[in-house]
Amino acid sequence: MIKFEDVTKIYPPSTVGLEKVTLHIEKGEFVFLVGPSGSGKSTFIRLLIREIEPDRGKIAVGGRDLDTLRSWKIPYLRRNIGCVFQDFKLLTNKTAFENIMYALVVTGAATSSSKKKAAEILSLVGLGHKAESYPHELSGGEQQRVSIARAFVNHPPLLMADEPTGNLDPETSMGIMQLLYRINKTGTTVLMATHDREMVDRMRRRVIQLEAGRVVRDQKRGGYGED
Amino acid sequence: MGRISFFFKEAFGSLRRNYFMTIAALVTVFLSIVVLGGVLVFVFLTDALLQEVEKKVEITVYLKTDPDPTADEVTTMQEQINSWAEVKNVTFVTKEQALQRMKEDYADSPEIFESLTSNPLPASFEISLIDPQAVDIVAARFEGDSIVDEVRYGKEIADKLFAFTDQARNFMLIFIVLLGVVSILLISNTIRLSIFARKREVEIMKLVGATNWFIRWPFLIEGITVGLVGAVVAVAVVLAANHYLLGRVSDNLAFLSVPVDAVPYVLVTIILLGVGVVIGAAGSAIGLRRFLRV
Repeated sequence: MIKFEDVTKIYPPSTVGLEKVTLHIEKGEFVFLVGPSGSGKSTFIRLLIREIEPDRGKIAVGGRDLDTLRSWKIPYLRRNIGCVFQDFKLLTNKTAFENIMYALVVTGAATSSSKKKAAEILSLVGLGHKAESYPHELSGGEQQRVSIARAFVNHPPLLMADEPTGNLDPETSMGIMQLLYRINKTGTTVLMATHDREMVDRMRRRVIQLEAGRVVRDQKRGGYGED
Repeated sequence: MGRISFFFKEAFGSLRRNYFMTIAALVTVFLSIVVLGGVLVFVFLTDALLQEVEKKVEITVYLKTDPDPTADEVTTMQEQINSWAEVKNVTFVTKEQALQRMKEDYADSPEIFESLTSNPLPASFEISLIDPQAVDIVAARFEGDSIVDEVRYGKEIADKLFAFTDQARNFMLIFIVLLGVVSILLISNTIRLSIFARKREVEIMKLVGATNWFIRWPFLIEGITVGLVGAVVAVAVVLAANHYLLGRVSDNLAFLSVPVDAVPYVLVTIILLGVGVVIGAAGSAIGLRRFLRV
């Protein structure tokens, strides 16, 4: 699903983003990406959605080579990667329902079925009753649910979450994790960058630990710290 | 909900939401197009005036006074002039008529004529031409004629006037082009401000996988709407002002006979609306360009 081959990214003048990272993530995996701030988690994710390009090395997502990808095809890459962020990144002037519709209309999906789809996915994340609420009328946990619903509404093969629980209390975080877990069960590969030690320890999934841009640990069923 | 109606809904929704920016952009478009329209109308008006002046280029042939030509000589000459193809009309003005005209012109100060013992004014032919450009050729034919004293046709004045207006016209053309560029810059700046406020929005759209054109269309529709509405109001103002001013001018300056159809209103309207649309679209496109590189 994701292949990094000897990937290096340096931010000018000399800040290391990633250094010689090689790793493979298979289809259907649930992977935690851990490490302190500045260790390269965000660089990893930004490379993945082609927001930035590596200085050296090759990246492939879903069999697509990113360095030969034409820039006009980037939107189509992104439709295959559901993105969830710490700050939710919802369109503030649209309701929960409209936010999800936007992701559907973008793909040119048929319209009457997409309305049904959007309504369904909202009830799936437990927000069927808040469809007409605007982001500022929702709690952090609810906003993150909308954001996950939007990321997943097109059933992308890969869902990528950057600190999705970073702004949420432990109880709400647990609900978000369960949602991601359920999404993973449908066969979607989930990659989650996180600081949340307790969550990682509890889930016992593959853990990739980054430090100063290098992979220092890649463990099949790991915890947050080494054990 | 089709794609196009989605774009329109997005565009009008954001025009309403960002009403302050909408008004700022509208005022900018409006002012630019009012100035542009004013200049345009002025160009058409001076053009029409020029043509009027051109038409009025007349040849006046003054006959000798000492001795005055005989009636036969006058008739022969009039017939000869009439036979020329370039001539539209020829009128003979007798010495008496000339004096009468002068008296009318100076009706306020009749004392000028009190000391006159005889009529010093010459008789003359006034010739108007079908093609004003032929004035040189026709005038030259009177050279050396025994009863002709002087030929006048205001050639120098006309030439100077033409040279001046040609320059004025070029100047205005450059002015119009500059004005257009300034308008586009102003509007793209205004729109860029409004887009800057929505930078986050554009980023999110890109993250969700929107293509550049998907993001661009609503912004373009916004820009074109602003351009068109601003232009419509501006056209109304320009045409109303033109109507009012023309009325004042022809009331007060009767000698400036501007033909009624001097300004082609339909053409001016189409040009100004077109400019409004182009300015709005170009402004949006330029303003958005930077933010699409995410």
